[in-house]
Amino acid sequence: MKEKESNVVTTIREILSDAKLSRRSFVKGSAVTGTAMGLGFGWKPTLRALAQASAPLSDGMGEWMPATCQGCTSWCSKQVYVVDGRAVKIRGNPHSKVNMGAACVRSHLSLQQVYDPDRIKTPMKRTNPKKGRQEDPKFVPISWDEALNTIADKIMELRKNHETHKYMLMRGRYSYMRDVLYDRMTKIIGSPNNISHSALCAEAEKFGPYYTEAIWSYRQYDVLNAHYILLWGADPLAANRQVSYYSKVWGDVVDKATIAIVEPRLSASAGKADEWLPIKPGQDGALAVAISHVLLTEGLWYKPFVGDFKDGKNLFISGQMVDEEAFEELHTNGIIKYWNLELKDKTPEWAAEITGIPVEQIRRVAIGYGKAAPHAISWLGGGPCMQVRGGYSAMAVHALNGIVGAVDNVGGTLKANKEYTGKFPKPDDFMDDIAKKGKKHKKIDQRGRLQFPCLKKGKSGGGVITNNAADGILKDDPNEIKVAIGYMNNFSFSAPQPERWERALSKIPFLVHITTNASEFSWFSDIVLPDTHHMFEKWGYVKAMGNGYRHVTLMQPIIKKVWDYKIDETEIPWLIAEKLAERGFDNLLRHYKTYKDPETGKAPTNEKEFALYALKYVTQNLWDPAKYKGGDKFNGWEEFRKVGVWNSDPYPFRKRWGKMKTKTGKFEFYSETLKEALEKHAKKHDTTVDEVMKATNYLARGETAFIPHYEEPFILGEEKEFPFIHVDHKSRLNREGRSANCSWYYDFKDLDPGEEVWDDVAKINPIDAGKLGIKSGDRIKLASPTGSLICTAKLWEGVRPGTVAKCYGQGHWAYGRLASKIFGKVPRGGSSNDLIPAQYEALSGSSAYYAVTRIKIEKV
Amino acid sequence: MPRYAMVIDLQRCVGCGSCSISCRNENNVTEGIYWSHKITETSGKFPNVRYHYIPTLCNHCTNAPCVRGCPTEAMHKLENGITMHDPKKCIGCRYCMINCPYGVIYFNWKDAHPSWRAGNSVIKEVTASPAEEVRKVGGKGTPYYNPERDATLPGIRPKGVVEKCTFCDHRVKRGKLPRCVEACPADARIFGDLDDPESQVNQLLGKFRPFRLKEALGTEPAVFYIRDFSSAGYPRTKGGI
Repeated sequence: MKEKESNVVTTIREILSDAKLSRRSFVKGSAVTGTAMGLGFGWKPTLRALAQASAPLSDGMGEWMPATCQGCTSWCSKQVYVVDGRAVKIRGNPHSKVNMGAACVRSHLSLQQVYDPDRIKTPMKRTNPKKGRQEDPKFVPISWDEALNTIADKIMELRKNHETHKYMLMRGRYSYMRDVLYDRMTKIIGSPNNISHSALCAEAEKFGPYYTEAIWSYRQYDVLNAHYILLWGADPLAANRQVSYYSKVWGDVVDKATIAIVEPRLSASAGKADEWLPIKPGQDGALAVAISHVLLTEGLWYKPFVGDFKDGKNLFISGQMVDEEAFEELHTNGIIKYWNLELKDKTPEWAAEITGIPVEQIRRVAIGYGKAAPHAISWLGGGPCMQVRGGYSAMAVHALNGIVGAVDNVGGTLKANKEYTGKFPKPDDFMDDIAKKGKKHKKIDQRGRLQFPCLKKGKSGGGVITNNAADGILKDDPNEIKVAIGYMNNFSFSAPQPERWERALSKIPFLVHITTNASEFSWFSDIVLPDTHHMFEKWGYVKAMGNGYRHVTLMQPIIKKVWDYKIDETEIPWLIAEKLAERGFDNLLRHYKTYKDPETGKAPTNEKEFALYALKYVTQNLWDPAKYKGGDKFNGWEEFRKVGVWNSDPYPFRKRWGKMKTKTGKFEFYSETLKEALEKHAKKHDTTVDEVMKATNYLARGETAFIPHYEEPFILGEEKEFPFIHVDHKSRLNREGRSANCSWYYDFKDLDPGEEVWDDVAKINPIDAGKLGIKSGDRIKLASPTGSLICTAKLWEGVRPGTVAKCYGQGHWAYGRLASKIFGKVPRGGSSNDLIPAQYEALSGSSAYYAVTRIKIEKV
Repeated sequence: MPRYAMVIDLQRCVGCGSCSISCRNENNVTEGIYWSHKITETSGKFPNVRYHYIPTLCNHCTNAPCVRGCPTEAMHKLENGITMHDPKKCIGCRYCMINCPYGVIYFNWKDAHPSWRAGNSVIKEVTASPAEEVRKVGGKGTPYYNPERDATLPGIRPKGVVEKCTFCDHRVKRGKLPRCVEACPADARIFGDLDDPESQVNQLLGKFRPFRLKEALGTEPAVFYIRDFSSAGYPRTKGGI
């Protein structure tokens, strides 16, 4: 696609000076004309178009309208420049205190998404009854009426046969209007099977902070007041969260703080870091406990938070046990147990060999980090924890914040601020006996079984294990699924080992997909419904935090809708509810009619009113001055709608010290909270915690199960056959795997360090490539024990020898004309998920993406 | 009359390329042409490696070799220092491209936005064709066409002429910052008047030792760079023998 340019400058050295030409000869030389001879003429400028082109000065043709970007889970508040109903440009919403008017690079790609010619413009149905990857569904357009009638008939059939638990709802990208479709509709129909995508996202990342300080959530970081920032597999300048905010302030952050980044690949953030620690994949836990070891032996823990030895003498000496009585602990629980059970022998020397990081660097980083206490952030990304044995690494990495007192502190790690949105009306009164009975069945993802504790917020089976739902469907275990709806999800692309989903979806007799593009999931669907684009065409809201604030930002229909899309979370369920009512089951519609407009008290009479009233209903506390509870104040709905974002009050630092929601009320190094959760889960299965550890593939036995600790990674594949460890990472241009049909994605792909435009590359260290005789540009096949992909080799120094780094995002075989090479048949590039086996961090339910498989490289 | 210049603070720059994509967008630039661009480099050997990024664009040189070499005066200097191009006068000879030492001038080898001209749809009757989408949305060339670009330059440049960054002269004329400056999430681009001693541009140029690209050539670029993309610290050392 790229035209040949003259005078292409390719290296920084080349552009900073030009030794070949002196100033005199160059400026003189530029006036002559003979140099162009070699170019050849024959180009006749097209001047006709120009004559009509000079229009009068076009000033202020458009208006900046409020919007929300969900290109990643930063969930920034944005503004869209709308000209004659057309979206033309994107910028950050200056009213947000979270992203402060900044817009990251991926936000601009939303323009190519909303006007993607390959979006489906009308409902369609498959006419080929056979389902499979090789079966063309032979989609034909149908009316909304026909589509909705068919869906309602299928649901009514389940109700008639008292098998509503065979209905399933799969959720992908959502707004907080989700409960209308995800929760209320599923419950009122009568099924337990609402399955979210969350465990493909980051549940293991929430495990660390939950079992230390009882927050099941991402954190925000007070970067502007930090003196040391230790990033673990997090790339805040490229991948979520709060990319816009961190991009805005990073130039100031680096002035004040030392930045160290632990990651096997040189990421975008590593480019601006003081220290790069290119760790061997999967060994993050070893590094975290070794750093903890140094912090304690060097006396660098933060005494006002953790406490101190009673006689003031540091008894943390390598290899030696410490008497618990000798230490007076303040706002933490179990520092001595942590030392005795895990840390005392975990020296930098021990870790150096395991991690591949030199002893001096481990010590230097640990001491620098400790000296910065309490303004020292240990920033947990997905990398160290979305691994088979990543749960305890998540704890070990997050526990560093506890040791240096950065928890809830200035320059430290913070939870979300308070916000005041409400809830939708309860469904209970609208659930009849069929529904109540149906809902009592077990969920299709098998959460809560012995090998799948999914301990969200301390509860056995409290969280989802998304990717395992495919196996549940395939084995009819706990039951078969007959009717399913998925919205803005694409599990047959976005989940590891997606071939399982291809078979599972093919098996479901009636599958509906609500989506913008005909994706790899749509391919197996019976009916596909055209969805609105969240940023421009939908009513909704999301909450996000950053910069010490939380915002609630609105999604609104702000452009002219070009085709016949409808809103996934509100309009479509309303329309289904109408159809169900026509068939004698009006419970859902009656329920939805209780979502009244708070301004007029009117019940909704159609899908459009419903979408708007539902939003006004749940956000009333934010915009109705009579209900004001805190944060930004508005004089009514209209004002809120125009500004588009509500900001919380500023962060109340150190308010949670001693009052955490853990079992002890303290920050737990010895997690009584986890102990209780594991014991309850063991009891449920009439067994011991040790057996739970065994069933979940963990090596810990005894008390170690309740503290952060190092576990040897569980990586599939024999080194002899599969010499490399696969390193998966994200692109700063990814919009959650949905930007692959945008030409800007390819034209600018080299904005990711090491990547190439219009290509999909596997980044290989030149030492490894040399041994295999592979050069940049060679076509290669990467194969793991569970799958393979074909892409291009790229030799790059930014990857650890012994690993291969491959970016997620390409490799679609559907989705659109650019995303795939031949729609429905041949992928463009290769999808990492075809290499990654379906493995889990089972304590959280998280799919494992990192340090989970070995691969081999073959030339093709 | 002001004399415009841009300072790029490499420490603030995060290498995200928002400048380049927002420029594409603002100026309706076709695929494969980069008015706003970058040069990147991965230096060192594992594990001592860093990635570096320098944003580039037309330097709006005071002593512009592209202007001097243009036989038809299509490439010309405006009084405010902007190096401007008039496609009506352009004969497509590409001397400017040869003469520009920075490689920031591009030639339109074909009609703009070719991918949006396609007439086929991926799924018959269910999806649109790109051309149909542009028509139905009401854009021009692309559905997200920016009509404001058209004020001082054809909104989309035709085949057979060159094009390059204009410092968003159409915006500057209306008192608005160039789009790349407005869109930079890191505030790494600072725009202003070199002749105003109090302008932020001059404040920064007085505070740091700025550098310009290929300074030795004497082109006198109006794009200045300050500070470093990597501000990494390192353990104190005198080296060793």
